[in-house]
Amino acid sequence: MKGWTGHILRINLTNRTHKIETFGQEFAEKWVGGRGLALKTLWDELRPGIDPLGPENKLIIAVGPIAGVPAPNTGKTVVAAKSPLTGGFGDGNLGTRATEHIRKSGYDALIFEGQADKPIYVYIEDDKVQYFPAEDIWGKGTYDTHDYLYKRYGKGVGVLSIGQGGENLNRYAMIRSLEGRAGGRPGIGAVMGSKKLKAIVIKGSKPIPVADPEGMRKLGLDDLRKVGEINKQTGWSIQSTTGVLSWCNEVAALPVHNMRQTHHPDAWKIDGERLNNARVATYGCPNCTMRCGIAIRDHEGHESELDYENVGLLGSDLDIFELDQVGSLNYLCDDYGLDTISAGDTLAFYADAIEQGAIKGDFRFGDAEMAKKLLGQAARREGEVGNLLAEGSLRMARTIGHNSEAYAMQVKGLEISAYNCKFIPGMALAFATCPIGAHHKDSWIITFEIKQSQRDSYGPEKAAKVIELQRIRGGLFEFIVACRFPWIELGWPLDHYAEYFNKVTGLNWSLDDFWKVSDRIYALMKFFWVREFPDWDRTRDYPPMVWFDPSNADKEGPIAGKVLELDKYNQLLDHYYNQRGWDKRGIPTRQTAESLDLKDEIAEVEKYTKLE
Amino acid sequence: MIKITVKLIGPLINLAGYSEKTLEFPAETTVEEILASLPIDPLRPKIVTRNGQAVAPGEKLKDGDRLAISPIYSGG
Repeated sequence: MKGWTGHILRINLTNRTHKIETFGQEFAEKWVGGRGLALKTLWDELRPGIDPLGPENKLIIAVGPIAGVPAPNTGKTVVAAKSPLTGGFGDGNLGTRATEHIRKSGYDALIFEGQADKPIYVYIEDDKVQYFPAEDIWGKGTYDTHDYLYKRYGKGVGVLSIGQGGENLNRYAMIRSLEGRAGGRPGIGAVMGSKKLKAIVIKGSKPIPVADPEGMRKLGLDDLRKVGEINKQTGWSIQSTTGVLSWCNEVAALPVHNMRQTHHPDAWKIDGERLNNARVATYGCPNCTMRCGIAIRDHEGHESELDYENVGLLGSDLDIFELDQVGSLNYLCDDYGLDTISAGDTLAFYADAIEQGAIKGDFRFGDAEMAKKLLGQAARREGEVGNLLAEGSLRMARTIGHNSEAYAMQVKGLEISAYNCKFIPGMALAFATCPIGAHHKDSWIITFEIKQSQRDSYGPEKAAKVIELQRIRGGLFEFIVACRFPWIELGWPLDHYAEYFNKVTGLNWSLDDFWKVSDRIYALMKFFWVREFPDWDRTRDYPPMVWFDPSNADKEGPIAGKVLELDKYNQLLDHYYNQRGWDKRGIPTRQTAESLDLKDEIAEVEKYTKLE
Repeated sequence: MIKITVKLIGPLINLAGYSEKTLEFPAETTVEEILASLPIDPLRPKIVTRNGQAVAPGEKLKDGDRLAISPIYSGG
């Protein structure tokens, strides 16, 4: 088999044993890698209803066939588990040197199961697996943890670690790598913490199996150079993703004041221009020539690597318009190993709930110093407030009551990324149908809605666009495992990825072959949710109710007086389900699932609900 | 003459040398005419909004309008 190693390293942390398992060509072509491989493993091996933070959950670290191969932006790895935040399928990706080392160690995925009896870290070098006590780094942040491991193993190794957030089972804890890379928004870091696994260190020395190594090397290096040139010509890296903040502010899509407002006169103080002026370093993932991480130094001397999501959720959504303070909050999230998106949304929800009189507390919008303290309490689960904040906004709302769930800015339990869809129906659909909860990574259609469509349309063209992007962003890029930025931001043609895949695997796939895998993965992700929640209905694919509330409409600006309309949203959801071949509940029909070769999976899901 | 506030976003700032300016144009100036007056490659894909709303081809601007010109972002 070329492209895939065909090997998975399974590590049992309870008894500290490991074994190498194999898979064949048919499995490889059906699920490819990354998200597909992780999903299929979790589907096959997890019993529904298990405690996501118990020993039965499994942490999957999966790469794809082009991951680690020198070519544009192939430094990514997928991390996945049953989510402790949502109770459904959870995954994410991050740039890390572990990508290359997993492949060079001879694996397509690592599976961690069981639970260590005391904190450990695991060192993997090719076929060797060693278990080391982690007492020296347990309780420390990710920066100290990385320094400790780099001193011992050198900076060239791959390191994935958790901070205090993951150790203390904060439900939106992530896994960290490199200077500021993090992945696994739905609490995958908490799953790692529940296993008392502080870090994974990996170093490989084997060749990555490539069908046409010389052709791939020439093509990949040439294309890396070309992507770098396009980046220079367009100036994209000058502000990277943070340029979008000013645009969101112009078109009333910026999260402000727990997304109750859509724009703010002080937004310029934290925009991409200010960030670029304050830049002290630029960071990126391995195999990247369009680095996106803009680092600034805060008043305490910490370097903090920012992107738009960080600034939107830890800045404007909390009414904090001081770049230095946003940098500090972001640094703390990275060090504690917390998702900046969920952390920002959860703090904003807390301030909003206090403002609404739903709960008593001292936190107010704009109070950066208190926000820092609360992040620490949430990461360590200190006290009543820390424990509450560590649960994420949906569980908080259900604890607080007073109809606060309506303004907990989340879908399926995962907090919404930094795009305020109070009056952006298609993007609201993208968030609501994202298969891990509200994340922008699977589909993002706001510029399409503003430029090429009618903003107030709920028509089938928007459902089609969401699906098209889900197939590419949430499908292709998550299962071959590469960063979508060259394509999405610089227009690097998708055909190149088919070319890389074919040169690596020796296959002759067209893009249509990828779309079938994408649709199969989306169907199985939905089955995963349905197996966990057999009473599944379409309301789980709704955005927060506050976006439908006329009293929440902007009083002035581009969308004054406008909010989403529920009956029209339901029509849009019907378009989406129809185009996907899913029923009115949002579940793939039998015919759809059969067309995606999911025969065994149909039999399993029908133990819990009948397919139409 | 009409006064139009031109807001540039992202790397377009570096091409024009400013991020926001209020400029004077003849009455009934179109969006295309304003774009043509800027040092930005006309073939470069961009998204233009007038007071936060998408603009139609040939749309004539009014005194006090705010024109935001941005590269086409894709949500990261």
